[in-house]
Amino acid sequence: MPMDAACRPALVVGLGNPLLGDDGVGWQVAEHVRREAGPAVEVDCLAVGGLRLMERLVGCHQAIIIDALATGRQPPGAINVFSAADLFGLAAGYSTSVHDMTLAAALRLGQTLALPLPETLWIIGIEVVPTFDFTETLTPPIAAAVPQAARLVLELLRQPVEEGQMI
Amino acid sequence: MKQRITIDPITRLEGHGKIEIFLDEAGNVANTYFQIPELRGFERFCVGRPVEEMPILTSRICGVCPEAHHMAAAKAGDAVYGVTPPPAARKLRELLYSAFFVADHTTHFYALGGPDIIMGADAPPAERNILGIIHKVGLEIGGKVIQARKYGHSVIEMIGGRQVHPCTSIPGGLTKGITEEQRREIERMGRWAVEFAQFSLKLFDDLVVRNQAYLDLILGDTYTHYTYYIGMVDENNHVNFYDGQISVVAPDGERIGKYAPQDYPHWIAERAEPWTYLKFPYLKKVGWKGFVDGKGSGVYCATPLSRLNAADGMATPLAQEEYDRFYATLVYEEGERYISAGPTKVVHHRLATHWARLIELLYAAERWVELATDPEITSDQVHAVPTQKPTEGVGCVEAPRGTLTHHYWTDERGVLTQVNLIVGTTNNYAPISMSIKKAAQNLIHEGTVVTEGLLNRIEMAFRTYDPCFGCATHSLPGQMPLEVTIRDAQGVPVEVLRQFC
Repeated sequence: MPMDAACRPALVVGLGNPLLGDDGVGWQVAEHVRREAGPAVEVDCLAVGGLRLMERLVGCHQAIIIDALATGRQPPGAINVFSAADLFGLAAGYSTSVHDMTLAAALRLGQTLALPLPETLWIIGIEVVPTFDFTETLTPPIAAAVPQAARLVLELLRQPVEEGQMI
Repeated sequence: MKQRITIDPITRLEGHGKIEIFLDEAGNVANTYFQIPELRGFERFCVGRPVEEMPILTSRICGVCPEAHHMAAAKAGDAVYGVTPPPAARKLRELLYSAFFVADHTTHFYALGGPDIIMGADAPPAERNILGIIHKVGLEIGGKVIQARKYGHSVIEMIGGRQVHPCTSIPGGLTKGITEEQRREIERMGRWAVEFAQFSLKLFDDLVVRNQAYLDLILGDTYTHYTYYIGMVDENNHVNFYDGQISVVAPDGERIGKYAPQDYPHWIAERAEPWTYLKFPYLKKVGWKGFVDGKGSGVYCATPLSRLNAADGMATPLAQEEYDRFYATLVYEEGERYISAGPTKVVHHRLATHWARLIELLYAAERWVELATDPEITSDQVHAVPTQKPTEGVGCVEAPRGTLTHHYWTDERGVLTQVNLIVGTTNNYAPISMSIKKAAQNLIHEGTVVTEGLLNRIEMAFRTYDPCFGCATHSLPGQMPLEVTIRDAQGVPVEVLRQFC
């Protein structure tokens, strides 16, 4: 959908590479949400970086992103919830690579250009151990986290907009 | 005593690339190693799947250029079934691909690698990004960049069915065409893209070409290598991103040949080194002589600069004018500026890749308009039903960051039995390694204090290639620390420098 097309009020984005094992956990959580949330929530599964992700969020009132997270400081399957404000604190740099911007930097660009970004943005990060082997199967602790993370997404969707969540 | 410097741009997207710089006892650079862990098993993962799944499956290898993999896989699928798509399908695919190039090259120039040269090598990392460019050039430029990307993505969605991961290419063509209303909209956006590309070249001219310090940086030895160049060309030896033969040009400008995609095994071989999983492609006919420049070394490069060097010109008029100006500015012969595009015109200055990318941006925009105004483009004849038994096929396109080759083997049902991919950046693994070493050698001398600006310049050496080794796309945790550790002979860190890119 073009980024300025009419967007449903709430967007749930599963992020990651579905062919790379636990990296695809965001897609599986998003599909779980799709089955339970009904038509009021738009669900998308994407394998994109910060700039294109930011563009996808344009026009949405509320957005929740689910992604794999590799801090190395938590057990695999641990579920973290970040607000947009947390994201700005986490991402000190402008690039996740020589190839893309961080979501935080992309959101700053969007703000600078006065693009209609979501009023609330949550990011669900599920701790994984990075893998370089192609598979569509999640490891048991990550698979076990999927329904729990999906419930969390559904709860967040029911929450009213709060001041602290503003981008 | 030997010292070791490690530059460690850890990112999920890039697959944990890491640069190690070893210093000799005098404190000069002895050697550098650019290590990339290979993503294992993709070929094996594909075996047993129907070949028609590959345009969708391979587009998920990488979140950066799914359209390139989609297109290479589509063409390999055509070849496996021995089917030629109807003209309208071919043109629609190329139209989608041209719009993709506009979006991708725009992003690299304004948001990723271009800021290195627009903002200056010594600008702090916090300014070497699109926000820095907005600050320098004005807010309007940010809106134009987002608009160029939006228009590119709109065309991808109209033809490819989805905005991010296209899904309409199948063996023999496409699952759908476009309406006249869509065509008009695509043409309107394409005409805007041409103006935007011209604006971008003017900006580059004003900020870089007319700035003697920046021009000297481009023309300096630090970022110069004398290698072979490859790139896809049409029947007139003009640059083409979607179809044609691969032209191979030597460092002295001699075209040593052109090969059809299916002949790549006769031209490209791969060299394994014990310190990295990823192999180094090289020209088989020349041979592997190590990480060295010159006509006797089979190291080659596949980038926007390579494509311009490997071709005789551009297929569209405005891009051709810029092509001539590019060589007139950067190629000198015995003190005289060499103007005509002939067999000796080759630019070896790696930072000129940023300029070459903008010339390709203009070509892609012009081609977008040409195809959008082609009388056949709205034809409903967009698929030829395959009638032959599937066997083996090669599909080749130019990805923004280099020649992309997909090679599939199937059984008689079209189920994959073997897969081989040579992705864009892999072509450039050897030249990237050489550029890092040369930049380090030129910038680190006995007594040199390692400064942030110095790290920027080493980073610039690989960023100009627009390298992409990744597959996993992540926004979290969202940091790219560039970390340099200087170690003593016992491996104990004596100094750690860190910056965020």
